[in-house]
Order: sequence, then C-alpha cells, then structure tokens
Amino acid sequence: MIHAENEMDKPEQEDGILFNLDENLKIVRNLFSESPDLFIRTFTIKQTQEQAALLFIDGLSDQQAINNDVLRPLQVHTEDGKPGDELMMTVGHIIEESRWSQIEISLLHGSSVLLVDGRDKAYALGTGGWPQRAIEDPQMEASLKGAHQGFVETSGQNIAMIRRYIPNRELKMRRLIVGRRGQTNVTLLYLADVMNPELLRSMEERIQKIDVDVILNTGELSELIEDNPYSLFPQFVLTERPDSAASQILQGRCVVVVDRSPSVLVAPVSFYSFFQSIDDYSTRWSIATFLRLLRLFAFITAAFLPAFFIAVTSFHIEIIPLKLLLTLGESRGQVPFPPFVEAILMEITLEMLREAGVRLPAPVGQTVGIVGGIVLGQAVVQAGLISNVMVIVVAFTAISSFILPNYDMVAAVRLIRFILMILASLFGFVGIIIGLMTMIAHLLTLKSLGMPYGNPLAPVRFSDWKDTIVRAPLWLLNKRPTSTLAKQDTTQSNDKPEEGKP
Amino acid sequence: MINTEKNSITSMQFIFIISGIQISVAVLSLPRKLAEAAGTDGLLALPLGYLLNLLCGYIIIMVMRKSSEKSLYDTLSKTMGAWVAKGFSLLLAFYFLHLMYDGLVRAILIVKTWLMPNTQGYVLMILLLFPAYKIALGGPRILGRYAELVTVISCWLPFVYLFTLKYAHWLNLLPLFKDGFLPVLTAVKATIYPSLGIIAVFILYPYLQKKEKAVSALVISNSITMSVYIFITTICFIYYSPHESTVFNDPIISILKTIEFRFIERIEIPFISFYLFVFSLVWIPCMYIASFCISQVFGLSDHRFPLRALVIVLAIGTFFYLPTYNQSDKIELWLARFGFCIEYILPSLLLVYLTLYKRFHRRAAS
Repeated sequence: MIHAENEMDKPEQEDGILFNLDENLKIVRNLFSESPDLFIRTFTIKQTQEQAALLFIDGLSDQQAINNDVLRPLQVHTEDGKPGDELMMTVGHIIEESRWSQIEISLLHGSSVLLVDGRDKAYALGTGGWPQRAIEDPQMEASLKGAHQGFVETSGQNIAMIRRYIPNRELKMRRLIVGRRGQTNVTLLYLADVMNPELLRSMEERIQKIDVDVILNTGELSELIEDNPYSLFPQFVLTERPDSAASQILQGRCVVVVDRSPSVLVAPVSFYSFFQSIDDYSTRWSIATFLRLLRLFAFITAAFLPAFFIAVTSFHIEIIPLKLLLTLGESRGQVPFPPFVEAILMEITLEMLREAGVRLPAPVGQTVGIVGGIVLGQAVVQAGLISNVMVIVVAFTAISSFILPNYDMVAAVRLIRFILMILASLFGFVGIIIGLMTMIAHLLTLKSLGMPYGNPLAPVRFSDWKDTIVRAPLWLLNKRPTSTLAKQDTTQSNDKPEEGKP
Repeated sequence: MINTEKNSITSMQFIFIISGIQISVAVLSLPRKLAEAAGTDGLLALPLGYLLNLLCGYIIIMVMRKSSEKSLYDTLSKTMGAWVAKGFSLLLAFYFLHLMYDGLVRAILIVKTWLMPNTQGYVLMILLLFPAYKIALGGPRILGRYAELVTVISCWLPFVYLFTLKYAHWLNLLPLFKDGFLPVLTAVKATIYPSLGIIAVFILYPYLQKKEKAVSALVISNSITMSVYIFITTICFIYYSPHESTVFNDPIISILKTIEFRFIERIEIPFISFYLFVFSLVWIPCMYIASFCISQVFGLSDHRFPLRALVIVLAIGTFFYLPTYNQSDKIELWLARFGFCIEYILPSLLLVYLTLYKRFHRRAAS
C-alpha cells in the first residue's frame, strides 16, 4: 500500500530503477504478480563480485542464448574487476534502460533484463526467441517463377527479406508503435529518393491516429487507415510476397510491415494493382499481357455473368437467336423456379462450398468437392430443380473468380455479383447498367491514400497503361507509374536489346 | 469562392465533357431532323453548323479570357453588380436544368419504349438519378474522369454501325444540292440542338489546368462531335432511302435492327442499355452545373444542397408527371430556341460589354 501511495505522489521518481537490488526485485514481483512465466535468476557476477538478477519470460526468450552468452560469461571467473565495470557478455544487442516502463516493454517483447546491485540502470539483452515458423512458400499467392519465400510472423525477418531485394541505403524505415496494449511494431518502408513525401506523411499520420487496444493483423490495420471503409473494394494491397513488396517499393509506393502478421500492406494502389501478379514480369511480355486481359475479362464475367443470364432469361428473351433459344428452353423447361431464384440458390451453394473448403482440413476437404461436384451439380439437374445452363453459368463464374490473383478483390466481386443479380432480376439490362454506372461512380470517387483509385483509366493516363492493362516489354517500362507521384520517375534507360548478328 | 486547385480538370477531360453534353441524346434524332429539313443534303449542313459552333466557342473563350476575376460570376458581379450576376447565374441554371430534364426524359422514354414498357417512369428516374447524384456530387474533377471513362468504354460503339454498310446505297447521297442551297441553310437550324452545351465552358473554364489550350480543346471537342454526327448521319442516309429517313423517330436505334449476329439477335436491346452511358453524359454534367449555379444565386458555399433538392424534386416530380414523346419533342424545340439565345447570342453580347467596359474603365482610371 505504501508503495502504491508513493507511486501516486511522485510517479517519476518511482519509475526509475533503484540502487538496491532487493528493492528492485520487490518492484518487479509487484509489477508482474501472477505471471508464473517470468523467471528471475539471481547470482553473483564473478568479474565484479556484484549481486545481479536476470529476468526473462519463459518461451519468449532463447534459452541457449541466455545460458551461453549471458550466464556463462558472467559466472566464469576471468579477470578481476571492481564494481561498476563494464560487464562481459557475448550478446550483440544490449540497451541500457533506467525506467521501469521501458524495462517492462523490453521484457514483454522477449528481451532478458539484467539488474545489478548498486547500479541504477538495467541492461536489456536481445535474447529474444519466440516460437516461429520456418519461411515457406506463400500460400495465398503462389507463383510459378517467382521466389518461393513468403513473409513470416516476425517483422524483423520480413524487413530483412525486403532488404535483400533492395540493398540500398535509400531504403528507409519509420518505426511506429500501434495499440495501447498490443504495442505492435509497425514499420513503414520506402525509398527516400523516390517516394512522394506527402503521401508518406499522410500514411504516417493515419497510422499514428490509430488508438486501439491491439492490432492482431495487417487486415485490421488496413481497415483502420482506409480512405473509405464503407466501400466494397479493398483500397490497399496486402501481400505475402517479399518480391512483390520490393517491386512495389521500387515503383514509389510504401510498404507497411506489421509485427506478428505474415502479410504487408502496400499503398497507394489502384484498381489495377489487384490484377497484377509478380509472375507477369518473369514470363514473356506477350503472355503476361494476355493474362492481364484475361483477368480483366474474368473480373467482368465473375461480376456480371449471372446477372446477365438472369436479365436475358427473365426480361430480354428476344435477343437470343432461335437455335440457342430452343436449347435453352429444353434445359429450362422443366425448372419450377424463376431464373433469379435458380441463380441465387446455385450461387449461395457455391459460396457455401467455397467457405466449407477453406476451413476444413485437406482430407475432409476432398469430400466437399465430391459432394459439391457430383451430388449438387449432377443430382440437382437430374431432379429438374436447376437447369443445366445455370450450372454452367455458376461454374464459369466460379472459375473466373479463381483467376483473380488477389483474395480481397475476389471477395468484393462476390458481393457485387449478388447486388447485380438482384438489380438484373428487377430491371433487366437497365438494372445491370445502372449497377455498373453506380460502381463506376463509386470507383471514380474512391481513393487509396488520397490517390485516385481508378488510375490509369480514370483519370486516363496513357503512359501508365503499358504496365497495367497490358504488360509492355521491359525496356519500355522505364518510367515509374504517375499514380505514385514519385520524386524520381525514371527507372532505367534500357534500349531494345539488339539482334545478335552471326 | 470556388476551389479550383483541388478540382482542376485536364484538357482531355474538358474535351470529353463538352462533347458528351453535345452528343448524348441529341444524336438519336439528328438524322431525321436533317432529312426533314433538306433530305440527304442535310448532311451538308453539318459542316456549316460546325463552323458556327467554332465561332461561338471562340467567342465564349474570349469572354472567359476577358473576365479578369476567377470565375465569370465574380467578373459580372464586379462589372455589373451582384444582382445582375445572380440573374445571370439563375438564367444559366434554368438553361442547364432544361438541358438536363430534356436528356433525362428522352432517355427514360427511349428505355420505356424499347426495353421496359411496363416499368413506371419514376422508377427509371430514381434508378438513373442514383449514379448521377454520386458523380455530380464529386464536382468537375469526377465529372471529367467519368466523361473520359465513358468515352474509353464506349469507343467501340461506332464500329458496330459499320455492319450496316452491307446494305449501303451510296448513291442516295447524290446529287449534292438537289434543291439548291437554301434547304441546306434551313437545315443548319437542326444542328443547333445537337450542338448545345458549349456554354458549359462558362462554368468549367476556371477549373481547366492549361487555360492557354482552351481554344484548341474546344476545337477538338467540336470536331469530335461533328465527326460523330457526320458518321452517323452518313450511315443513316446511305442505309435508308431519302424518304424513309424521316419516318423513323430515332433512326440511330432503328438501324440496329438490321444487324444480326449468330449469337445475338435484336442487338438494339443491349445497345440501348449501353447507350445509357452515353446519354448520361448530358444530364450528369448539367445536373452539377445547374446546382452549382443555384448555389451561386443563393450564395451557398457548395452545390450539395441544391443538388440534393434537385434530385428529390426530380424523383417526386416524375411520380406525378412524365412528358410523352410529343411533349418531349416540344421541350426539345423550346430548348433549341432557348439554347440559341443563350449559347450564340448571349456570349457575343457579353463579349461586347466586357470589351467596352474595359476600355471605358481604363480611360476612367487614367
């Protein structure tokens, strides 16, 4: 009680470390009451004959490092010294702390803390070693020719992976702490001589404004700093790939690495960023262009095809040529539902199958495929509940949405599809066009970190088309995109490779 | 009063906004009107109309150059007094409301006739107002981007018309000047309604990034408009016989009936739905400009409130009354007269006034 009162009276003085080790340990035990995972090891330093205590949290720190690099050098008698001497430790990362608040943070982040009797400062030793997984192939963004390293849950490693791609001193970082309880390390990476400083400042301000308990994931961060959180469209790219992140940084964007999260956030981006994949640059430009156009087409079919089908079959049956109409009539003839109900049933089934497949473990997941494919696909048609054509439409939609390389965009498309289906069932083609118009209106007003989201189609910037809608040969891509307002806009001065002469 | 920095538009956006206002719904009936006035010679009236438009556009730009303040409204309130400026804004607001209403009603009538005969007019109106409100709220910059985007996604439309060339009779066009020069001159009158919209420069000019290129931008936009008109009219005249051209209400749509693909019949149905994008290029900018002018009249800080009021009034108003085709034709007729006064006569008067004012003012000052 007395201790608490003292703290109230003069908190600043109490925040500092005392000279007396026993007093200090008492404070520690008080701060970390009911934390059985805090270990306190008291011993005598052989070198200086001082009493010392080593504090660390079990599981957050590397036992090997503590034993070999801290305890052993301190307890083995080497040369004589006097109290107050520099201590012999073979640890690279040592910070002297003199405030309890800082010591608390270091301890909770995995450092071990050495308190020495008679010294009013503590040593935070970088012996952190928490449970980590190995670096693996990124699951959400697998690539054929790109690197097979994905981000992990430790921001230090993630930053190192990005730095491996850009070993340049202009790659700068800003470290911010987010979350009152979580104290998450959030690092902003950018190229100082390329990134537009205003965009950077805007990003930093947005992150600093966040006032939450904890951020568990990059997704949470992105929702908290988005320009328009009500929008269906993602406004930042989240990637698991270090090579994509590095390539985005080189284009003049900034990357936000969140500790404990395996994906990083890229800003500012545009609508087309979600249609690019890192493989586009490692394959031949012709096929990459084809794939990009294919993805755009897939986006359109994934969003519009069921709505189009509903509109045609329930409003504009006259646009179907006779032969096709006969085939369609044969298939739809015995279906008891109107097209909209039919489509909604199948689409919801598809969404359920997809969601079921995501969570289930792989061996059970196969059953889902069988149930979905055979039982629903075939039986429903044979029972005459759903027409063949509808199954084809739904399957085509599903395939289209699998082509899109970004999960967040696919999620947006899934919702847009339902809205358009409702509009089409009410107003036919006019409904679809109104939906499209509203979507365009929304995309036009949407921004990502203050930059227009519709770039380079709205506003039209022809110079950016060669690396968005198509992928021109690399020697033509010598300018950074205008959408990032980069300070330095030329990236290369390559000429077309000359034809070899025999 | 207005923030032009954050809302500036590029020359390309400027071009497409102006062309969009001009083309949109007007293109539908243009061949019929030209044919009514001068048969196939109506085609020859288009270049004449083009020259007239260039002149009028040049005068409008000159007025804007002469106006020393940021916007024309400020100039007028400085030179003629606040009430005259307010009156001028009100006049413009009325004009653009007229233009907008004409466009909306035309679009709704066309959709009703061709696509959704059973849907109530006000339902269509509400549907159309939804995206329009969202875009008009964004101001000139968003309008510009919308106009650009619509131009990009609808540039395939003219190519579909080339499929009608199968049935073309080029001889329909000959001889030139069959009835002399006079019918051609009267047909120029028919080109006025499809050229309305240049006056939007009065509002958009302050937002233009490169003001020194305004003249060339206006020339380009008028050239785009005219080439679209010439293309469409030629297609209609060589497809329909000279007498047939006047029979169809909207020959541009009727002509599509003849196009047929293996995979799609009655191509005009998806076509008209897609045309809504092109039609929207008239009412969305006009909606913005009208509500902007109203906000100037009442001295409001931005156009949001007038825009909201406008949208609500339109939605409720259509519930009670929607003009028929004939009434809409009358609206168009009035619009052509109103537009002639506003777009061709008013700028010249303004130019004369501003020139004289400057001269006298300078003399008075020295």
